[in-house]
Amino acid sequence: MKRTPEEKLLNPKPGSKIAAAKEFGIDLTLLIGTLRLTPNQRVKNMQKSMMSLEKFSRDAEIWRKNNRDRLKSRAQSADRK
Amino acid sequence: MIDLSPALKALTENKVEFVIVGGIAITAYGSAYITKDLDFCYLRSAENLKRIVKALAQFNPKLRGFPKELPFFWDERTLQNGTNFTLETDLGDIDLLGEVAGVGDYKAVEKGSVEMEICDVPVKIISLDDLINAKRAAGRTKDLLVLPELEALREALSDEEE
Repeated sequence: MKRTPEEKLLNPKPGSKIAAAKEFGIDLTLLIGTLRLTPNQRVKNMQKSMMSLEKFSRDAEIWRKNNRDRLKSRAQSADRK
Repeated sequence: MIDLSPALKALTENKVEFVIVGGIAITAYGSAYITKDLDFCYLRSAENLKRIVKALAQFNPKLRGFPKELPFFWDERTLQNGTNFTLETDLGDIDLLGEVAGVGDYKAVEKGSVEMEICDVPVKIISLDDLINAKRAAGRTKDLLVLPELEALREALSDEEE
């Protein structure tokens, strides 16, 4: 009986490319999730993830700058004392 | 990050003959891979070059990584004088490929391509087999890392099971 893509990913046959990918470290549950979507939805979700990552990166940069400024001003006030 | 929707709309509205390759194609096939740019293979006919120039001009394309002071003219002559172009635009990074390593020119890539709706725009996407061949031929670490996932997807989506 033919297995669905989801069944193949959930129970990879030994020696298969899917088993090799699992061995390599690919999280097959992520693939099961994306295969439930249309290509349109997959690309839209990827773009949303990318936007979140870029926002996170910008926020982290602001935090690093503020932290540098705070440490600098703390060092300056310690020098004055 | 690439703002994909206006880029694809501009290309299709101007009737550019192109096939999406690279990261967007990888995502379209179900990979959890994340990409920042749009890569497409294009037909190198004079008419198509004219269409590409018209479609992308509004987004101010410049060569990526080149000194800003160097002059760059976005016109058909520039496209005629090269094959592959890595561009930065107002929408994000866009790579134009006249040829795809491991597959061939536009005609070869287009032959096996499949039509999908991406950002609500019908477009052609490189076939999964050609995508795997391209990644293997490119041979960079980042290309090779995605191969096990693409091969697993091909096996999962295949009608046959060994």
